[in-house]
Amino acid sequence: MSLLFDISLFQLTMLMMAPLIIACLGETIIERSGILNVGIEGVVTLGSVTGFLLTYYSGSAIIGCIVAALSGSVLTLLLAYFSVTLRANQIVIGLGIFVLGLGISPTIYRLAVGVVQSIPQVPTLKEIPIPLLGAIPFIGEIFFAQNGLVYMSYFLVAAVSFFLFKTPLGLRLRACGENPRAADTVGIDVARMRYGACAVGGLFLGVAGAYLPLVISGSFTDNIVNGRGWLALMLVIFGRWVPVWSFVGALLFAYVDAFQFKVNALPQFAKIIPPQFLLMLPYVFAMIVLVQVARGAESPRALTRPYDREARD
Amino acid sequence: MTEKTAACVEMYGVSKSFGEVRALDAVDFEAAEGEIHALLGENGAGKTTLMNILSGLYRMDEGQIAIEGREVDIHSPQDAIAVGVGMVHQHVELIGNFTALENILLGREGSRWRLDVEARRSSVEELAANYGLSIPLDEGVKSLPAGIQQKVEILKALYHGADILILDEPTTMLTPHEVDGLFTILKSFARGGLTVVFITHKIQEVLDNCDRITVFRGGRKIDTIPREEATREILVRMMMGERGMPPEGERPTGPSVAREGEPALSVRGVRTSAKWGVPLTGVAFDVPRGLIVGMAGISGNGQKELAEAVAGLIEVEEGEVHIDGEEVSALSVAGRIARGMSLLPQDRIEEGILPGLSLAENFVLGLHPHIFRRRGVFEREAAHELGRNAIAEFNILARNEHVPAAHLSGGNIQKTIVARAVMLAHETGGKVMIANNPTRGLDVMAASFVHGRLRELRAGGAGVLLISEDLDELCLMSDRIVAIYAGEILGAFDGPEYDIYRIGALMAGQREEVS
Repeated sequence: MSLLFDISLFQLTMLMMAPLIIACLGETIIERSGILNVGIEGVVTLGSVTGFLLTYYSGSAIIGCIVAALSGSVLTLLLAYFSVTLRANQIVIGLGIFVLGLGISPTIYRLAVGVVQSIPQVPTLKEIPIPLLGAIPFIGEIFFAQNGLVYMSYFLVAAVSFFLFKTPLGLRLRACGENPRAADTVGIDVARMRYGACAVGGLFLGVAGAYLPLVISGSFTDNIVNGRGWLALMLVIFGRWVPVWSFVGALLFAYVDAFQFKVNALPQFAKIIPPQFLLMLPYVFAMIVLVQVARGAESPRALTRPYDREARD
Repeated sequence: MTEKTAACVEMYGVSKSFGEVRALDAVDFEAAEGEIHALLGENGAGKTTLMNILSGLYRMDEGQIAIEGREVDIHSPQDAIAVGVGMVHQHVELIGNFTALENILLGREGSRWRLDVEARRSSVEELAANYGLSIPLDEGVKSLPAGIQQKVEILKALYHGADILILDEPTTMLTPHEVDGLFTILKSFARGGLTVVFITHKIQEVLDNCDRITVFRGGRKIDTIPREEATREILVRMMMGERGMPPEGERPTGPSVAREGEPALSVRGVRTSAKWGVPLTGVAFDVPRGLIVGMAGISGNGQKELAEAVAGLIEVEEGEVHIDGEEVSALSVAGRIARGMSLLPQDRIEEGILPGLSLAENFVLGLHPHIFRRRGVFEREAAHELGRNAIAEFNILARNEHVPAAHLSGGNIQKTIVARAVMLAHETGGKVMIANNPTRGLDVMAASFVHGRLRELRAGGAGVLLISEDLDELCLMSDRIVAIYAGEILGAFDGPEYDIYRIGALMAGQREEVS
């Protein structure tokens, strides 16, 4: 039982939570504008390869994160171009982006790194305990003795919440996702809002991707994202497009993920429980929770619907 | 109203095409400050298109616009707002999940970085009070009745600085009392110096409420005349041109002509669950054979659910549905169709046709057990023959039976659906027809076609349930009218003469005093 409440387990939970919530916030911004980005897994993968390579070559994780963010933004803008300007089916284009991201990332990696004896590594980000807060027993050790990107994820939850619900621009963004024609008739440029949402949301997705090699593995592997993009997509629904609730979902899921990670490392369990079973746990958990939570969840009304001002009904 | 001051809105030579369809052909239009100006015409005459151009939603292909004597370029709704044009659309453009206040502020929040709804509340309240509009500002718009939603839209336009207010078919969703209230407000606006343009196809409204009338037909402006020169006959002639009005069908005679025997349709204490939409709470009424029973109600009070419960599309939790004396609540849709039921669904594109398939294939749907000799085989020749015959018999405008249904105009799509239902009624004996808003959005000719077919069914002894939001249509067609409100029947009225204010009161949920 002490295993379930281990402090290092909670610390690992926060570590695993950050990329999920960052991606989830990015997706929330995009979906609130009325665009469903099912290519999220591909965008996150691209972020992890560009983030890793730039960190590796420049030696600066900050440069890595910035480039990863930009690459995520560019790929998501491609989605915006197809779904806003060309009004293509967002699911089809999203799946295209997914495959593109998943395919192009290892290609970029191979082109950059070539065939090598030992795989390139970057040092993972160090914890930066926050003075005073980090000294609080238990709570402080869990929340405030983490790497910088985890702190950033806390900040982003608050910032995106504030943006969506407490700024005029957030109100307009939500209006575009609910009823683009209503937004248009009061003078809001729907296309610009949607492009903007994709550009900004894409930044988040890229950073979420970069997080994985920079914090968790220290290296890039082809399936490094391993479904986390899809999970972020689910967490958006879990949170009903409200960042704080997605945050709760991300914590829950990361906890289960961290738990399987810990248990897998213990030799006394390995004999009884097959490791594959434990690896599956977080995903099963996600499915069960979602089936319960998604019931009756109301998405932005205009999600996936392209807007054509001159369309006649 | 006194003689006009300077023209406030002028539009010259405005043309607009959608693909190959010329929606507006070199139209001139002019409205003066402080007047209520009606745009009258049939559906598809171009009135809404012209106003959508003025409000920036559509771009004109050719033409010029001047506001208060100055030429303006209107390329977007933003431009239109900047020159003081505000439009209340037919299907109100509000965001259901926002409060009324948020909807009003949207786009003009009054600050850049911090959304402070409360800070603007007093100015919105003041504006509302000035114009005599009372609105619950903190309610989610979704839960407000249509009449209030419309007021929210009007207030929104005023808040955004409109001094030219356009209303597109503003009365379709309102009860007669609300219509009176709306025009009282609009008249006070006009007295206050606003220019009010309202789009309608109802001649009586025009005669009752406006200062000048511009009539449209087939994408052209016919003329603008002052109210004093207008009579019903003149307006009809301008609207309909050489075609004239369609022949008036026989008027309903009232319930006295009901045929003997069991009612064609009997709905007894039907309740449905809220998961299907508006729950029905013990709906009971009969549709006798050989009568048209009209159902009056404002959209979203359970009409759709009732139609679907009778048709077998949604589950009846409690109560019974009888078709021709037989209890059918446990039967499938197919079982009910076999017993003589047919349905004209409300949303003709979404629920009525297979848009991508050919007309012939659309006709076959539902009729297939009757026209194919071998079970389980699609017989192309039989289908094509059916399509050809139906196109000829029902006068549907289509090149041939192979064109996809979605390529037809709204009126012809509805004719297709009606044709199919009528043919089906012939095969199954046609006991009950449920028509849910069968003429919405149709031009007068197409509507007259639909009405004619419904009357034929009645003459053939079928019971027709006609659900409509248009009280005029109901009064014209029904032998009896029942009023539905919030999933409940509040009263029944026998025709052929009706008091629309009494019906309207029930539509608004005011129960009659028991005398």
